[in-house]
Amino acid sequence: MVPVEYYLLLSSALFCIGLFGVLTRRNALYFLMSVELMLNAANINFIAFSFQWGNLTGQTFALFTIALAAAEVAVGIGIILVLYRNFGDIDVMDAAAMRW
Amino acid sequence: MSEADDDSVVAISPGIAAVALFGVLAAAIAGAAGGFPEPAGFPAEASIVHNIGYALFDIELGDVPAEGFLAAFLIIAIALDVALDSAVYLAKRETDGTIISALTDGGRDIVDGEVAGAADDDSDTSGVGGTDHGGDR
Repeated sequence: MVPVEYYLLLSSALFCIGLFGVLTRRNALYFLMSVELMLNAANINFIAFSFQWGNLTGQTFALFTIALAAAEVAVGIGIILVLYRNFGDIDVMDAAAMRW
Repeated sequence: MSEADDDSVVAISPGIAAVALFGVLAAAIAGAAGGFPEPAGFPAEASIVHNIGYALFDIELGDVPAEGFLAAFLIIAIALDVALDSAVYLAKRETDGTIISALTDGGRDIVDGEVAGAADDDSDTSGVGGTDHGGDR
């Protein structure tokens, strides 16, 4: 069996890749994808510890995280549509004010 | 320091931050290595999918221990419904009380299969569809 530390390292790497994307990308779609990477890093932790302790709570909770990620993407894409309509671009740096 | 140097510092610093965070996390994980017991795993004969279903609906029939998630299941169902409604609300655009979001192309109106204003708008000839403003940034 694979020790849980390896899963933790994988999840840390995935989280840091997502963080790098959030910090560097200006395109809102890439931004959303990077946030998804970070959420999936959390899912790997949930599932790794679920396997570690022989308890299905972690796997079930990961399902809820996936559902929340879907909800977040739905709202995020709606916001991107509005961003495109109002600025003609999906650069997250364009929307610097709370109103237009 | 020149402006180009400033730009390169701005471009490099997120990478350094991400790598530094990974270093800290890896050091913490390495420090905890060996502190975990051998993984318990799941019984070979147990169906994981069945047991997740039992946990979701808070049914005490599973072979694998898990908590009940019926309340969370219902709350997530409502949250997904709210997200769907809010996405539709954000995506729709009303003109004279009519929802026309299903008939748009990149924010432009589509009238009778043609993009409104496309015939008399010759300025947008940069690419296919002209919707690549976002680019690969």
